[in-house]
Amino acid sequence: MHAKLRDLLITNMLAIVLGIVASGLMLLFLDKNPISAYTVLITSVVRDGYTFADIFVKATPLMFTALAFAFTYKANLYNIGAQGQFYIGAVIAAAASLFLQNILPGWLALIITLFLVIAGSGLWGAFVGFVKARYNSNEFLVSMMSTYVALAIMNYLLRTFLMETKAEYPQTDALLASVWLPRMIPGTRLHIGFLLAVLTCIGVWILLYKTPLGYRIRAVGYNARAAQMAGINAKKLYILAFFISGALAGVAGFTEVNGVQHMLVQGFNPDIGAAGIGIAILANGNPIGIIFAAILFGALKVGGTIMGQMSGIPSSIIELMQGFVMVFVILAYFVRNWLENNREKRKLQKAVV
Amino acid sequence: MVNLLSRTIMMGTPLLFGATAEVIAERTGMMVTAIEGIFLLGAWAGFVGTYLSGSLITGFLAAILAGLVVAALYGWICVYLKQHQVVTGVAINILAVGLCAFLYRVIFGVPITPLTVSPLATIPIPVLSEIPFIGPIFFNQNVLTYIIYFLAPLSYFMLYKTSIGLTIRSAGENPEAVDVAGINVLTIRFLTVLLAGIMGGIAGAFYSIGFLGMFTTNIIGGRGWIAFAICFLGNWNPKGAVIGTLAFGFAEAIAIYMQSIGSNSFFPNELFIAIPYIMTIVLTVSRKSFNVPAKLGVPYIKENY
Repeated sequence: MHAKLRDLLITNMLAIVLGIVASGLMLLFLDKNPISAYTVLITSVVRDGYTFADIFVKATPLMFTALAFAFTYKANLYNIGAQGQFYIGAVIAAAASLFLQNILPGWLALIITLFLVIAGSGLWGAFVGFVKARYNSNEFLVSMMSTYVALAIMNYLLRTFLMETKAEYPQTDALLASVWLPRMIPGTRLHIGFLLAVLTCIGVWILLYKTPLGYRIRAVGYNARAAQMAGINAKKLYILAFFISGALAGVAGFTEVNGVQHMLVQGFNPDIGAAGIGIAILANGNPIGIIFAAILFGALKVGGTIMGQMSGIPSSIIELMQGFVMVFVILAYFVRNWLENNREKRKLQKAVV
Repeated sequence: MVNLLSRTIMMGTPLLFGATAEVIAERTGMMVTAIEGIFLLGAWAGFVGTYLSGSLITGFLAAILAGLVVAALYGWICVYLKQHQVVTGVAINILAVGLCAFLYRVIFGVPITPLTVSPLATIPIPVLSEIPFIGPIFFNQNVLTYIIYFLAPLSYFMLYKTSIGLTIRSAGENPEAVDVAGINVLTIRFLTVLLAGIMGGIAGAFYSIGFLGMFTTNIIGGRGWIAFAICFLGNWNPKGAVIGTLAFGFAEAIAIYMQSIGSNSFFPNELFIAIPYIMTIVLTVSRKSFNVPAKLGVPYIKENY
């Protein structure tokens, strides 16, 4: 196996294990035995098809938000606002589905909803790219802040126009079954969105590495000025990259609303954007790697929830595991660099001798 | 009006703490993107320390310690291991959310009613607080607010009039030159990150024990990022940070005021909640000339080793 790939796999595996061990040690504070807790966790994740399939259900939106971060990252841009783009996507998905479900056949309503989501959340994201290109604003700050604005918009709509007919809770009415994303395996929650997510990962990989557009995006990320000299319009690419990035995050909202929740609930999935960044880092920004990293995070989520249902382990263990894993993954970057440098040095020494 | 302005100063206090610390650290080239996590753990530790010991001083010491720990982790990874600042910050912020939610549960279990402590009292300064208009605005605040009156001029003086300040600014503009002068760039950067940890910890504790007297995991809600933004918008200058802080403090004060009088029927509350964030976007977009430290976000690697 190629030395670099081997390093990547080994160091990242170690990082994941260390992250899980570290959060397991935290369980000692609760007087829980981490080993037995994790044993219960693993056995219960695979105990039945429903729970096992849930891993992939949870991985679905994570793939999209991870792609959202990875995509702009390739252009050396930071989209920290995937959370907000996800909210915008979710709001549009719920609103469009509720409106279209009564006048169109289900499949047509779903397709139109998906297009509206892509357009809406794409434009929301493209705004960040636009102000970056036009006014040279800091895209990191603007995308960060746009999340809080999106949250306010969602909360406002859930309290007013989109509120359920009973007007009791800040949530929408349930969608009709005709606009639910079809189930892939009966008896589980696994819906066709998972397939869509995997295909999107592959599509983004092809786009980035096999098309002229992807080449231009990576060229801008590698050296914006040199790319500009070579006749690549960096500013246009900023807007386009952020449009695609925002649309990707928005589709996560679509799969969650139409595939899992079947309604829009206030404050759902508040950490999906941040987890997406963690997955993108873990996968080293590679769209294919994101598939596996997202499934891992999905497993952490399902496992963490089961642990949360067990006696006295709070569900914040999920964030703890995610946080520890991410920190260790960053340390793994350092270790990999160090290994690589050593290898280079040895090569040079051999050459001298 | 007096009430609103006095609130502005109060809500601006933690922002100025955070923004000033961020200005100093970013001048050395270190974006402290872990600032949200530092704020959050500061708020958590401040509350826990105060609740368990009954003393606000212990609370603030605990907050400082928590801020230091987070900053040390961040500084170690970014300064010494030279990893990516934005990515590291995001990871640490997630870890911070998990840690404080988990440890809160470990210490307090699931309380039926929210736990509270009595927050920092306002100390009217004799004579000065009697001045009409100005008195109640500036001199009827809590002790942390009085500190910020000195913080801004002091940090300005430190950055521009002392040799330490020169070293700090050079570390972000031309680290090689600092290195040639025999000063360790990495040490300078690490120390300023630690300083940001201390000040960020205090700022975070201001939210939990400075005026609310309680802790929730969404208590900070992006205020760390706003301090981060103020540093950018203030052009990496303590003077700019003061102006930015006043603007954001005022926005927050208005938001609280509008919600309390229940103007909901005409303008939705959410609009006021979103004002500080919208303001950041508008200001980021409208600012033309930025004086970004040349090596901001770039790890320092010596040429030969």
